[in-house]
Amino acid sequence: MSHSSSPPPRSRDASEVSFDFDERVLDNGLRVVLHEDRAAPIVAVHLMYHVGSKDERAGRRGFAHLFEHLLFQGSQHVAESEHFKFIQNAGGTLNGSTWFDRTNYYETLPSSHLDLALWLESDRMGFFAPGITQEKLDNQRDVVKNERRQAYENRPYGLAFETVLRMAYPEGHPYRHPTIGFMEDLDAATLENVHEFFDSYYGPNNAVLVLAGDFDAKDALRRIDRYFGEIPPRPRPASVEVPPPALDGGRRGTIEDQVHVPRVYLMYHAPSFNEPDFETSDLLSHLLSDGKSSRLHHELIYDKRIAGEVHAFTWPTECAGMFFVVATARPGVSAGSLEEAMLESISGLRGDGLSEDEVEGARNRARRVLVQQLNGIGGRADAFAHAAVLRGEPGYVNDAFARYREVSLKGCAGLASEIFDDTRLVALHVVPATEGEEAEGKEAEGEEAE
Amino acid sequence: MSTAGALDRTRPPLSEELRPLELPLFHRFRLDNGLKLLVAENPKLPEVSLRLILEAGAAAEQPELGGVAELTGRLLSEGAAGRSALEMAAWLDRLGAAFGASVGYDVANLSMHFLSDVSDGALDYLRAVVREPAFEEEEVARVRQERLDEIERHLDEPAVLADLRLIRAIYGDHPYGRPAGGEPETVASLGAAGVAGFHAERYVPDGAVLIACGALDARAFSDAVALRFDDWTGAGARSELPSPSSASAGGLILVDREHSAQAEIRVGRIGMEYAAPDFFPATLANAILGGLFNSRINMNLREDKGWTYGARSSFRFRRGAGPFVVSAAVESAAAAGAFREILAEIQSLVKRPPDDGELRLAKNALTLSLPRQFETPSLVTRKVATQQIYELPEDYWETYADRVEAVTPEEIVDAANSRIPSESMTLLAVASSAEVRPMLEEVGDVSVENAESG
Repeated sequence: MSHSSSPPPRSRDASEVSFDFDERVLDNGLRVVLHEDRAAPIVAVHLMYHVGSKDERAGRRGFAHLFEHLLFQGSQHVAESEHFKFIQNAGGTLNGSTWFDRTNYYETLPSSHLDLALWLESDRMGFFAPGITQEKLDNQRDVVKNERRQAYENRPYGLAFETVLRMAYPEGHPYRHPTIGFMEDLDAATLENVHEFFDSYYGPNNAVLVLAGDFDAKDALRRIDRYFGEIPPRPRPASVEVPPPALDGGRRGTIEDQVHVPRVYLMYHAPSFNEPDFETSDLLSHLLSDGKSSRLHHELIYDKRIAGEVHAFTWPTECAGMFFVVATARPGVSAGSLEEAMLESISGLRGDGLSEDEVEGARNRARRVLVQQLNGIGGRADAFAHAAVLRGEPGYVNDAFARYREVSLKGCAGLASEIFDDTRLVALHVVPATEGEEAEGKEAEGEEAE
Repeated sequence: MSTAGALDRTRPPLSEELRPLELPLFHRFRLDNGLKLLVAENPKLPEVSLRLILEAGAAAEQPELGGVAELTGRLLSEGAAGRSALEMAAWLDRLGAAFGASVGYDVANLSMHFLSDVSDGALDYLRAVVREPAFEEEEVARVRQERLDEIERHLDEPAVLADLRLIRAIYGDHPYGRPAGGEPETVASLGAAGVAGFHAERYVPDGAVLIACGALDARAFSDAVALRFDDWTGAGARSELPSPSSASAGGLILVDREHSAQAEIRVGRIGMEYAAPDFFPATLANAILGGLFNSRINMNLREDKGWTYGARSSFRFRRGAGPFVVSAAVESAAAAGAFREILAEIQSLVKRPPDDGELRLAKNALTLSLPRQFETPSLVTRKVATQQIYELPEDYWETYADRVEAVTPEEIVDAANSRIPSESMTLLAVASSAEVRPMLEEVGDVSVENAESG
């Protein structure tokens, strides 16, 4: 048996978790967040642009994401297919993602290669246009169309979310369509669109750069200025107006899919990431489906045995928040009876149905999940960037622990009463395709066909 | 701010000095009953990751009890130590902790993640589920039905269906030919007695390893574990796997799934075991062929042809020879072309040995990524679990980079030749037969299976 002679680590709880950071703005408007963590010789570089699918114009749904793909296809000083190679050759990992409100590009790599990441990210921010060709556009268009087939069209229940969005928002609303877009719009994208989009949204003054990990903040800031400082700012894009959702209720629909059992999607218009009640809303999702003692697990899976899976979650959008409750039926259970039971469980969170003990458990689970999301520098960089871009305050990452701790039973019950209301509800049933018929969607009542 | 000299953007910046990899220091203990403890301190955040590895994987099952290992793992937390299933759930959820039982072919991996201020409670919970699960008939029946429902739901996923049919084709009756979680026919006949029997035989301290990392004091934590586990008894029984004999070499299987929006394709064969002598050359061969974004298969199918969102290959290393599989979801019209290109790329590994750039990329991706792979407590316990499960040398991760660097291009070609010869591959597609069958007939003789039955 070996024995440790080191002193025991300082005892503390999650409410004391806090990450030091510095925030600067370069002359060209690029916001920089620097968070030192010298524990491992690695650094996370995360560049988040304040543009997403909500900024796309009519007839170009899916363009922001297609554009994200093109940003991996090289720039003036980086040859085609070299971007991934450079990072992986340094032992790093990388990716990008597009969402309603933002697009991010990120890598975590040995800190000895910090300059490599800064060189690559600044080259595609400052010198992207000379690298793009029709051939690259056509190739990545095909790749993205295959992504849509793989992740949505050929996946069970894969078209549910885009159907819910179409039901929830009116024609022309920025959140009405999914980030992946639609085939006909992807087909319509031109090289001219690519240049326009880049010029409109990819200036340094529309982005936040976060570094987290093994570096010296002062030195890193010098390097950042060296690589990004000379990139000129662009006119700031007009921010898209996101109208508040119409709370008129009655939005229901059914689609068929190649599945064995029905699944019910309930979406409630709820607080966005930027609203004061966001953490309360998120805690409601923990109360509903995080853990086997949560309401939906206990009541739908254990007691009534009518569901096989249950999930409740919030989407941390910039505007117009969305709260989802999704349950998959057991064989032989209809979507209608499942929905009825879901609504009953959800309404149990209103009024005096909640116990202090139950809320304390949900707070504990939420804090643990938060620690797990932030224990790596990649997750931390993402959280800083998300808070900086959507809320304008990277420090939210640290405030979050206290905000979750302060959510009260009364706050939960109050918010549940407010948002779990028929006027805010969109309900979609996905049911097994009828034998011998095409597995195609039947449009929701009162909805227009795409 | 001053900038030192003009910036030359035409060339990538040079790497600066790499800090050497510092692996976490593990304190090793062993209880008298055989339970091994490996504990590392990482006080950065107030969290603990814990894994308990037990010789309770699916390879230890009697064939007629297929699925009992998985069902046992699921039932541990459904009533234990005098508490009902609901009381167990309420206990764990009040702690805010996460518990999961992941059961593979080789072992059962019980994992927990919790904040360090509830360590004692989490260990009490672990003691209850490991040592005193109730396995009440009623709960067994409920969880068995949940499991059967889940198997059916998962078959809606083309990727799951493709993997399932592929392993059946290449392993036949060998345990690796059926899913680790068992098939509906045997799962349906499992009862409380079978589960309790499997637990009694397999959930024993002898041969078990508990790995923990996080904000803890190694000595105090080990004492806390000992307090709960040192009177745990039971002798170990390690099962021996039969060697897989290639049930079917080659062939082209089409699983007809009507209205498919794409073709989910696989190319595979029996691969190799984790402890194989040519593990490193084969791993590098795979990295060059299909293990990375810039690997040959992905560059061809995605970045050149645009047929897919991504194509990759992997060895699924186990104690026995797990499969080698190339997988991709491709547009239906490209199904035949994708098979041809994948086979050509596999052949090319022998005909066109890796050049310096490919070799460098593959080696760097494996070695320079190590600090990242040990970043958080959960990652650390996972890496150590791998070393323990496959009985790799104690200094495995310390010497890993050197072993990778020592591999020569000739060794890679040899490994490719012997481990992934293109002529023995089984091809499989889950797709709409009406759309792809005629073109697949040009690739080889097609045997059609039904997606629903068989």
